[in-house]
Amino acid sequence: MDVDTEMQSATAQGTEESKENEWVRINSNDGFSYLVRRKVAQTSGTMANMLDPNGGYAEAQTKICTVDERGIVTEKLVEYMCFKSHYQTVGPKEDIPVQEMQERIPPEIVLEVLLAADYHEM
Amino acid sequence: MSTARRGRPKIKPPKKHGQEFSAERTWVALSKSIKEVQNHNAANLSFEENYRYAYNMVLHKKDEMLYNGVSALVAEHLDTLAEEHIIPRFPAGSIGDPIQRSQADELLLKGLKDVWDDHESSMTKLGQLLKYMDRIYPEKAHVPTTWVKGLELFLVHIIKTPIKDHLVTAILKQVQHEREGYVINRSAVKGCVDVFHRLETDHGTVYKTELEKKFLEESETFYKSEAQHLLSTCECPEYLRRVESRYQSEDSRIHHYLSPQTGPGLRKILEDTLLIPNLSTVISMPNSGLDSMIDTDKFDDLARLYRLYLPVQGGLSCLKRTLRESINRRGKDLNDISLGVGGGDGEGEEGQEEEGPKRKEKGKAKARPPPGALPAIKWVQDVLDLKDKFDRVWRDSFESDREVEASLNEAFESFVNNHPKAPEYTSLFIDDHLKRGIKGFTEAEVDSILDKTITVFRYISDKDVFERYYKGHLAKRLLHKRSVSDDAERGMLSKLKIESGYQFTSKLEGMFNDIKLSGDAMDEYRKVLETRTAPSVDINVTVMTATFWPFSAPKAAPLMPEILSEACKSYEAFYFSRHSGRRLTWLTSQGNADMRATFRSRSHELNVSTHALMILLLFEKLGDDDFLTYSEIKEATEIEESDLKRNLQSLACAKYKILRKHPHGREIDVDDSFSFNVDFQASIQKIKISTVSSKPETPQERKETHDRIEEERKHQIDACVVRIMKDRKHMGHNELVNEVTRQLASRFNPDPLAIKKRIEALIEREYLERCEDRKSYNYMA
Repeated sequence: MDVDTEMQSATAQGTEESKENEWVRINSNDGFSYLVRRKVAQTSGTMANMLDPNGGYAEAQTKICTVDERGIVTEKLVEYMCFKSHYQTVGPKEDIPVQEMQERIPPEIVLEVLLAADYHEM
Repeated sequence: MSTARRGRPKIKPPKKHGQEFSAERTWVALSKSIKEVQNHNAANLSFEENYRYAYNMVLHKKDEMLYNGVSALVAEHLDTLAEEHIIPRFPAGSIGDPIQRSQADELLLKGLKDVWDDHESSMTKLGQLLKYMDRIYPEKAHVPTTWVKGLELFLVHIIKTPIKDHLVTAILKQVQHEREGYVINRSAVKGCVDVFHRLETDHGTVYKTELEKKFLEESETFYKSEAQHLLSTCECPEYLRRVESRYQSEDSRIHHYLSPQTGPGLRKILEDTLLIPNLSTVISMPNSGLDSMIDTDKFDDLARLYRLYLPVQGGLSCLKRTLRESINRRGKDLNDISLGVGGGDGEGEEGQEEEGPKRKEKGKAKARPPPGALPAIKWVQDVLDLKDKFDRVWRDSFESDREVEASLNEAFESFVNNHPKAPEYTSLFIDDHLKRGIKGFTEAEVDSILDKTITVFRYISDKDVFERYYKGHLAKRLLHKRSVSDDAERGMLSKLKIESGYQFTSKLEGMFNDIKLSGDAMDEYRKVLETRTAPSVDINVTVMTATFWPFSAPKAAPLMPEILSEACKSYEAFYFSRHSGRRLTWLTSQGNADMRATFRSRSHELNVSTHALMILLLFEKLGDDDFLTYSEIKEATEIEESDLKRNLQSLACAKYKILRKHPHGREIDVDDSFSFNVDFQASIQKIKISTVSSKPETPQERKETHDRIEEERKHQIDACVVRIMKDRKHMGHNELVNEVTRQLASRFNPDPLAIKKRIEALIEREYLERCEDRKSYNYMA
């Protein structure tokens, strides 16, 4: 089952134009799959290394990261990665709605999300 | 969000990863993966899986085991790499052929580079896998991160004896090889040197500790022998060219495969070995050194010389010294040539006298300088040419360096002042140019010639001597209207004024003024004459202020014939009516006259000196065959003896023989007698007799001039001492002498002894008194 977050379609934009914009896939351990741009995935240090072509591991070849978490946790990770990727470049004057982001994390998965975030170096 | 509001949902504990965790099993799996990574098989591995192994081990407090395990694996791998890629490539010591040897070295360096690349890439990958550990463990256990640990292991396992020594030797050999003119693979060397740069020990990078020092030592040895070799095989320009190309090649070496930080040290070695010990040897190489480069106008070589010498300690002073020597030698040659000619002139005074008539004949050839002035003109021209030459070198090759200019000037000054006749010759040169040189030159050219002359003038320290000569020459030019251009005269005057100040030229300007006033006075006199009967002789008078002009009144005024004295009286009457209280003294020796003489065949217009006119007038009343003896003429005219002889000579012995001398001969003797030459014939109507040509003085005249100058200097020193003492009231002896020397330096260099004598004279005359301490003086009002 494919769930598209945010991004509607998976059309690759200009291959050479920018590696940052190329699509990578993030799979959860229960069959959910998320397509995000590389620059979004790279907000996680672990995933950045995983996808690093210089490292040359299997994940870098296939451009698929497997996250050993449930879909609901993975989705929250992806949501946060999008949030971080979006706001890490904004000017100092703009308000960053950290509070809202926090409130969007359901308490029952907070611990899992925390551990996963630590693992993925977010 | 919505979940949060739904009340109190139960927080589920996260599921435990790898509940059946076994450190041993995990490590076995992970170490297998690490080996795979080291063997370039990362593509077959799942990052996530292995990352999780490491993560789990850290989580289960097995991080120390993990860290040590990884270190051991890396060390082991490095040893294997060394075995495979480096040790087999150690060049065999027996290879004699430099090319083969060089290739072997290159291979070894490449081997190291390969090992480094391999190590670097696997360490990067391991670093990624072990990132979780790196975040936790090193800080806790105070050990370096994986990457840094990797570098340390590389240092210990690869950069060790004997590998290290082989590498350093190989690099040095490659450099040596390139210095000898072969082409090497720079990128191989660069690869290895770069690795050395990356590796740090406690004492700095491996490059610094292992390579740089040896490299510099090696360079020093090489360039020491290179310097010897070049010295024995190359001429000066070639030597410098080689040195410069060495500079450039070392510079490119530094930038291409060594390190900019080695630059200054290496540069110093180059300077210390190639230049500093040989500065003066190279610059004064016979037949190719500075001197001959200047001779042959090798501006590029000279510029190179300057470039190389300037930054080196002692280089500039060596250059300046050699330049000075060169100029002094050339200047001495010029002086010797000039004095050689001049000396002959002075010694054989008879020879000069013999030349006398000839000179007068040639005198009419106005376009040529009078032969007497030739050595002077030649000398000044030579000095100017020399100056031009060095100026060009200075401008084109020495970047108009101020210090160099100062020593150039110093050198010129010293040799110009070594020429005893320098002031006189300079004035003669100007005289010559103002009299005849202006024709055919544009105003700008004249100006530039005079400008250059000013530079010579600047070098002369006895400016008062120059002034005296210049005054004499200027007086003659003005009186005889020999100056070609009034503008040029005034131009010269204003240049001198700029150079030496108002005081220096005030008298000269006074002379110009006199000429102008005399002209005005003459106009008025003529107008007055129109109203009454004029004397039979037309007269033109120049009234000269006695203090401005360098003529002294004759001891005894010659007896003027009636016809002349009548004219003089008429002018005197006119002049005294305008200016009361003035006295006019007639200087007949400076004048000249136009007259008409009738010979048997035809009549001619003669231009003669006033004295010659007076002599000729004596013959007017005589018959054609009547004689006058020398003593009769002398009695009748009372002209001074030397002047009389000169005039008679020019009338009777020169090209135009207006008088007959009995007996014939070139010299005038007191027993000679003279008659009017009625048979005189000449093709031209107007004849000019006896030109006063400016020529170098005879030794006797020179002595007189010098005595006069000495006398004048005494007064100047007196005046200067009194001026200073009046101001200071009390002053020490040395201080006073210094001050006097300083104040008079613009006119001449006073001799301290002379100053002392003048001080004593002033004490005698009670201007000053000696103080108790015997070392200082008081001014007495």
